[in-house]
Amino acid sequence: MQNNECIYICEQFTEYNDGSLSTEIKSKVDTHLASCTPCAQRFHALSDMINKLHQLPALKTTTDFNANLMAQVEKLNNESIWQKIYQSSYTRVAGYAIAAGLVVAIGINMIIDPIAPRGPQNIQRFAGEEKGTGAPVESIVEVTDSAFSGGADSLQLENPIIPKGESMHLVSDSK
Amino acid sequence: MNENNTVTDEQLIANFQNGDEHAFVELVDRYKDRLVNFVYRFLHDMTDAEDLVQETFLKVYKNKHAYKEIAKFSTWIYTIAGNLARSELRKRKRRKTYTMSELSFEDNEFTPVDTDKDTEGIVFNTYAGEEIMKAIRNLQEPFKTIIILRDIQELSYEDISTILDIPMGTVKSRVNRARLKLQDTLSYLKE
Repeated sequence: MQNNECIYICEQFTEYNDGSLSTEIKSKVDTHLASCTPCAQRFHALSDMINKLHQLPALKTTTDFNANLMAQVEKLNNESIWQKIYQSSYTRVAGYAIAAGLVVAIGINMIIDPIAPRGPQNIQRFAGEEKGTGAPVESIVEVTDSAFSGGADSLQLENPIIPKGESMHLVSDSK
Repeated sequence: MNENNTVTDEQLIANFQNGDEHAFVELVDRYKDRLVNFVYRFLHDMTDAEDLVQETFLKVYKNKHAYKEIAKFSTWIYTIAGNLARSELRKRKRRKTYTMSELSFEDNEFTPVDTDKDTEGIVFNTYAGEEIMKAIRNLQEPFKTIIILRDIQELSYEDISTILDIPMGTVKSRVNRARLKLQDTLSYLKE
């Protein structure tokens, strides 16, 4: 019948085999094995099993193992070279595409943008107050030579938000 | 492990990291058989075992700079091979292409004899190598791995502790339990 001591002794078998048990525990195992036949039998079978495990026939790789491996290594090297080339050209092409896209976008923007300044001489921005409410208003108008009718500071303009005969102050400087 | 070699594994991998391809070939020669013996115990097919060892060396080749000299080269390469073997077993399970003989006891809904139980009546005989191999195949995975590493590959407890990333005390107790389980399985198979 296996008791707690038998279980404890069984737990020591590996270290007992390795010779790494303390003298005290080793002598306890020795005493137990001398008096307990099932444990002694188990220990001897275990030692035999471990020896057999050590003696299991070793397997060997086939003779063309190295040749096959080196062929795969070569394939791997070729793949990585092409990968590098692909990656570098891909990066370059992507850079060119982004640059070209930016140039086209700026060009289109310059052509179609209706409020882009066309020259400082004839476009001016004016500020004033809406008649009656006193709310500030701002207007961009095209200034022609004929619009000037008074002194240098006042303008007479045809503009929907500036009533005829009223003057506005120049906000932005122009030449 | 490489007492007979004047150049250590760690020196060889350092040379390989510096571009010496011959150092890689030397490492292949040193480890190919050991690794085939290791992974074959999991896969039970020589062609698959060789393929997996080739994959292990290709990983070493591709990731040579991942190796740092804080660990032994042997534990590093065993860890790679062990991980690949486990991943291959998982793939096989998913594909369900294994034969009935490749099923583990766990898969066969077989419960191995528990070493904690009373073993009275079991006669512990001596065993033939073939019987032992059959019993190892049927061990549960953690026990199988530790038996292969310790008793077939004869690695040190320290190396096993590094490969499996478990404390040394756990390695020792698991080795003991695995051996007792193997012994019980052998006795069961003999009955």
